[in-house]
Amino acid sequence: MEEDNKITDETPKKQVIETEVPLGPVHSAAIEPYRVRLFVEDEIVKDAEITVGVNHRGVERIMEGLPVEKANSLTEKICGICSNSHIWNSVMVAEKALGTEVPERAQYIRVIMEELERLHSHMLYLAHGNEVLGHETFSMRLFYIRETVMELLRMIGGNRVQYGVPIIGGIRPRAELNQMKLQKITEGMNYIEEKITNFAERFISDSMIMSRITGVGILTKEDAIRLSATGPTLRATGVEVDLRTDMKEYDPFEFDVITQDDGDVKSQLLVRVLEILEAIKIIRQAVKHLPEGPITNRSWEMQDTPITKSYIEVPRGKLYHSYYLDEGRVRNVIVRTPSITNIGAMEHACIGNHITDAQLAVVQCDPCFTCTDRAIQIIQL
Amino acid sequence: MSLKSYSRARAVHVMLVYTGGCNGCDIEIVNCVLSPKYDIEQYKIFLTWNPREADVLVVTGPVTRHNKEPLKAIYEAIPEPKAVIAAGACALMGGVYKNINGDIPSEEICGPVDEVIPVDAKVPGCAVRPEDVLAGAVAALPLLLDAE
Amino acid sequence: MTVVDSLIALIAVIGTLIVAFVVSVWLPGIERKFVHARIQQRIGPPISSPGLMAPIKFFFKEIINPNSPMPGLYNSLPIIGIIITILLLIIVMPQLYFLAAFASVVALVGLLKVEEILYMFMGSLSKSVLSIRMPFPDLVKGAKHRDVPRSFVEELSSMRAFRLIAFGSFPIYIAIFVPVAMAGSIFLNDIVAYQQLHGPVLFTLGGILGAIVFFVGFMILLNEYPFVILKTKADVIEGPLLEYASKYRAYVYISRGLLIFVLSSIFATLFLGLPPNLLSWTILLNIVVALAFTIIMAIVSAFSPIFTYKQFYPVVAGVSILGVLAIIASFL
Repeated sequence: MEEDNKITDETPKKQVIETEVPLGPVHSAAIEPYRVRLFVEDEIVKDAEITVGVNHRGVERIMEGLPVEKANSLTEKICGICSNSHIWNSVMVAEKALGTEVPERAQYIRVIMEELERLHSHMLYLAHGNEVLGHETFSMRLFYIRETVMELLRMIGGNRVQYGVPIIGGIRPRAELNQMKLQKITEGMNYIEEKITNFAERFISDSMIMSRITGVGILTKEDAIRLSATGPTLRATGVEVDLRTDMKEYDPFEFDVITQDDGDVKSQLLVRVLEILEAIKIIRQAVKHLPEGPITNRSWEMQDTPITKSYIEVPRGKLYHSYYLDEGRVRNVIVRTPSITNIGAMEHACIGNHITDAQLAVVQCDPCFTCTDRAIQIIQL
Repeated sequence: MSLKSYSRARAVHVMLVYTGGCNGCDIEIVNCVLSPKYDIEQYKIFLTWNPREADVLVVTGPVTRHNKEPLKAIYEAIPEPKAVIAAGACALMGGVYKNINGDIPSEEICGPVDEVIPVDAKVPGCAVRPEDVLAGAVAALPLLLDAE
Repeated sequence: MTVVDSLIALIAVIGTLIVAFVVSVWLPGIERKFVHARIQQRIGPPISSPGLMAPIKFFFKEIINPNSPMPGLYNSLPIIGIIITILLLIIVMPQLYFLAAFASVVALVGLLKVEEILYMFMGSLSKSVLSIRMPFPDLVKGAKHRDVPRSFVEELSSMRAFRLIAFGSFPIYIAIFVPVAMAGSIFLNDIVAYQQLHGPVLFTLGGILGAIVFFVGFMILLNEYPFVILKTKADVIEGPLLEYASKYRAYVYISRGLLIFVLSSIFATLFLGLPPNLLSWTILLNIVVALAFTIIMAIVSAFSPIFTYKQFYPVVAGVSILGVLAIIASFL
């Protein structure tokens, strides 16, 4: 008997893949265009490949040589979900390069915008997750709660999706917060907190959903670090990393870094739910202690700068922008978005699950393929 | 109103194809389908993901290179009568990606949508507002009702 | 049997079919408008839209050739489905109990089996544009496993339909045999007669358990949430039905509403002793049962996610055990 066991242990496992099921770029579970090829054996996913590049528009390329303000507004068009994060980071690169001081009030309002964006992005994630789970009712409830955030964003920025609040040296005058707006934000936060807490209780106590999401799409801590996962995806595996703790904009605020240990879909969803509550906490602090003063510092002068880099924490993880200024025009723009580093984690999380859970395993990493599609070239054989 | 027009007005199946762009229009359209606040079903419009079932194709985005052929394939799979709604600035005229006039133009944009497939109704906006999407879907209805 | 009697019986059968059809086109609308939309706090579509106007609209669409190796067979499958559903309704009608072996539980089981097998054929014959045929350059340099055979999503559905035939239909068949065990006969005639004598099966312990099992089986047969794995939106989109267009899709729409009505009529016959019969006032109770089934099904489906096999197997196994208990209880 022992002899037999030894032999079977030493025989290398030959992976035979039965069939490939390609899905996309137009598919009901993935609203964004991407191609995922699932290699299945008896409906269990053995390997997965996500092809991005469907959405490639060459934003860095068309940004080359634009005046810096125009380039900043163009970064907003990289992504419609985290548009504020892109313009904020791009503006921060310019501010860092030109040495511009930003008034404290403007910093606070920027943080409020970023946290509102985190709220709507995470709620969209939860709603999409429920849609993929097949739970239409929860999905609709979340979209209904999210509508409050969209209204707040529209009130502050003037548009429901791309608000364009930060400019070099501060924020746009239209985003100035008066007492009435602050009051509305406070009311909105109370409403969302109540509804999200309610939702989380319902969600956690629903045994059908729990059995669908517990132990599915597991990403271990080691794998997540090896595959360079970032943001909430990494935090859900138990790694306590949040760039907000290092950002000077977040220094005045107290908040917790949320982590979960399991790394499955359940912890991914819970991390987002708890981060919504943390974001509400930050917004409340910002509204309460909003300092008086100017909102824009217009005393900066354009000059040529060396390559400048900036990292910030956005709803999906770590966002990187860099460029240099040459006669007021941006050159050599590089953008690295969080989803591109999460793709490896997505592919890995698919493996070993049933094919219906595979799309869930992709969605759990909060993919934003619009952000992701940077300089990638596909050559047909 | 004949039974044909009446039934067509009472059940419109919409398919959404997203061809690049920034995701903003897309989320807003999904919002007006899935959010109880807008609730597209009360206007007798239903979301489908199957071109064989669809009557109206809503296209967003500037049609990137890898999306051109899939978009054509899906358009051809829809049985007549059909209508196409282009939603958002990118679908209408290529958006910022085509018209920003930087030093290097983007080679990836094959759009706007009406260069790839015929467009019947246009919904402007960056990003489109859910109300406008509903209005656009209603604007495309007469085309369907009067078709053979 | 005189000629007049046969004529009346014929009129009753045709009249019942017409009533069934008229009721069934409103059921999807009721499900969508009064249950789903109410739970989701929105207005929802008019009740005529999903069940009545959508099929009429599809009748006026261009008839296209589906992408299928056998387009004729593929398009005829929903019509076969409707014919089988009508046959199911006909054999539970009291006018046709003289058919003896055909008006028995065995015939019910056989016809339901055919209804399930249709999905397998549909799945293997449909070749939709949404997976392999999508013109997309993904077999490129550096892609993983370039030589692996590729499969349409409908083939996946077909495999799932096969599994559903193997295990998914246990509950409904076990539930059908609860009244059989009580009446001690497989003939519908005897089952109905037994219930007129002893009161409905539903109001016994075995009957209540059996009704629960029947309901789960009913949802599995209709592929309603949460048992929607055959055509889940998360991977196979609509599965076997992907290529149906124009009037063939209208048949798909009609057959679903009709199947809800027919299965609830079977329930009324087997558990309440009320076969659908136009000549009796009890047809109203049949309609009430159909409405109740639709509403309960819609409430369950609005609050459940899709079940994968991990949840599907235990649910089916548990419900089947409950069904066996119901049969044992009915013997006591």
